[in-house]
Amino acid sequence: MLISMQQVSKTYAMGETTVYALDHIDLAVDKGEFVGVWGPSGSGKTTLLNLIGAIDNPTSGAVTVNDCNLDDCTDNRASELRNRFIGFVFQHYNLVPVLSAVENVMLPLQICGVSTAEARRRAMDRLEIVGLAAQARRRPDRMSGGQQQRVAVARALIADPPLVIADEPTANLDSETALHLISLMRKINKEQGTTFVFSTHDQRLLAQVQRRIRLQDGRIQPDMEVA
Amino acid sequence: MMQWIKIGFRNLVKNRRRSLATLIAIAIGFCAVGLFRGYTAATFDGLRRSAIRGEGLGHLTIYRQGWLENGRSDTKKFLLSPSEIEKILKIAKSDPHVQLATPQLHVAGLVSNGRTSHIFLAKGVVPADFRTITGGLSARRGLKGTDLSSNTPYGVLLARDLAGQLNLPPKSDGVIMATTLDGQMNALDIQVRGTYDTGTAATNDKYILLPYRFAQMLYDTKRADCIVLLLDDWQATTAIRHLLAGQLAAAGLHCEIRSWDQLSVFYQKVKNMFDMIFLFIFLIVLVIVVMSTINTMGMSVMERTREIGTLRALGLKRRGVCLLFAIEGAILGLLGCLGGVILNGAFWAAIKIAAPSYIPPGVSTPVPLTVELLPRHMLTLALFLTLFSMAAAIWPARRAARLSMVEALGHV
Repeated sequence: MLISMQQVSKTYAMGETTVYALDHIDLAVDKGEFVGVWGPSGSGKTTLLNLIGAIDNPTSGAVTVNDCNLDDCTDNRASELRNRFIGFVFQHYNLVPVLSAVENVMLPLQICGVSTAEARRRAMDRLEIVGLAAQARRRPDRMSGGQQQRVAVARALIADPPLVIADEPTANLDSETALHLISLMRKINKEQGTTFVFSTHDQRLLAQVQRRIRLQDGRIQPDMEVA
Repeated sequence: MMQWIKIGFRNLVKNRRRSLATLIAIAIGFCAVGLFRGYTAATFDGLRRSAIRGEGLGHLTIYRQGWLENGRSDTKKFLLSPSEIEKILKIAKSDPHVQLATPQLHVAGLVSNGRTSHIFLAKGVVPADFRTITGGLSARRGLKGTDLSSNTPYGVLLARDLAGQLNLPPKSDGVIMATTLDGQMNALDIQVRGTYDTGTAATNDKYILLPYRFAQMLYDTKRADCIVLLLDDWQATTAIRHLLAGQLAAAGLHCEIRSWDQLSVFYQKVKNMFDMIFLFIFLIVLVIVVMSTINTMGMSVMERTREIGTLRALGLKRRGVCLLFAIEGAILGLLGCLGGVILNGAFWAAIKIAAPSYIPPGVSTPVPLTVELLPRHMLTLALFLTLFSMAAAIWPARRAARLSMVEALGHV
């Protein structure tokens, strides 16, 4: 099992009221799964992904990723976990504006000290996979939203992580580009066995996923397996 | 590391107007400190040469133990005897760094033109040795008439204003009077061989230079109050001083040795004053550099909060975020200092070409405004300002690194 969440809650204080972003969630995701998390705005999708991605800490409950209990992790250990085992794709792409596409893709490897030459070689491979090798030297401001998101996918894959988390990766893309991106992620999932957990509002995209997790008011509604 | 340097540099270029303002502030600050340090170095150098050569202090002066404290109240007791003088000269001259060792006797009394008299302070020197000590600076003494000579044992030099007040021009005759070591009044005829400029208004109406033997005649003694040493290199002063102290003690001579900078009160005062002004200027520049960098980096951190969140999500540790901004601060500091070096060089060249002069307080003649170019000092200053610039960048970066990633990623 790659991800395990047991009785996980995340609360926020709003004045004197405690608001449950996630309310006693149990979740298990196996290696190689392609999981779509959906639900209305404010249902807790981003919070769920942040907890799985060791970006945030739960108020209660236990989150285990790749056999690592995130409760026991120091900040440095969590950083290493994110760097080596988790790839991230964000809604707003979150590329570093002063770096070219290839330099952005190289970042995770350079953070863990891989040499520039090796990082560049592997980054070019990933850009080839996402079909952007020709745009490797372009900076984000010279690329379309779809291209930027593909660069972000390449960046998420550079360290060959077993898990990629994508928070609304298609929210800023048109339908065609969104479907293309999901197809790309699905292809990588099938070919490389990378586990994908992503959130979306888009029902058309959910038709592409293997497993859907519906969140409402911070609780998981019954799973739907897709053939 | 190159990746972080690249990010830092490109971000500075991206915000070029803001970066430029900070670079200019650092460059001007660097230039101000560099120029002032260059000016003080030139001034100290001039004062050092003036003290060693101009004042005739030499590099080291040897006294009998206790002379400096009690010599004026019990002169006879603390003067060096002829045998001590001989021993000291022999020991001193055996050191290859010692170019010259010469006895001197300082006397005080009244000088008269027959109608009016005036107090004087006189230095009795061996004329040839004194010429060697003063060296090239003797020309700067504004000598009118002829210099001291052993061939004219009663021929003296009067300071310019003293000669003027007593109306004793070169080749005129006068009388000097003093009490001998045994308490007898003694008067000797003098011939004014020349007049000279002491360089300071406070001493120009008191000083007399006379031959060593003549000073001994006035005090009716064969003794000297000190032996002045001229070295081949002023930087060897401290080492030779320690060496000689050991050798003199081993020879049974109870002496104390003073270096030129200890004896030149004027040098010490000016140096202390300039050191204080330098510290003041340096602190102002430091505050400007630190505040400019904090402002620039603070804005950069604020604008790049989401980028910081992203980098943290990609696995960059908190110290990595600090390092990223520290590098950016260091680049800012380094480029600012580079600009400062260029600015400093330009001003240095302009001063060299224009060669302006000024009259400092207490000095009677104009002196050229000189500024030295000090590469080693500039390197140290650049290192210092870069480090401070780096530290100033870490401060806002630490705050950013401690932000929750969820907040940072959601920052707009």
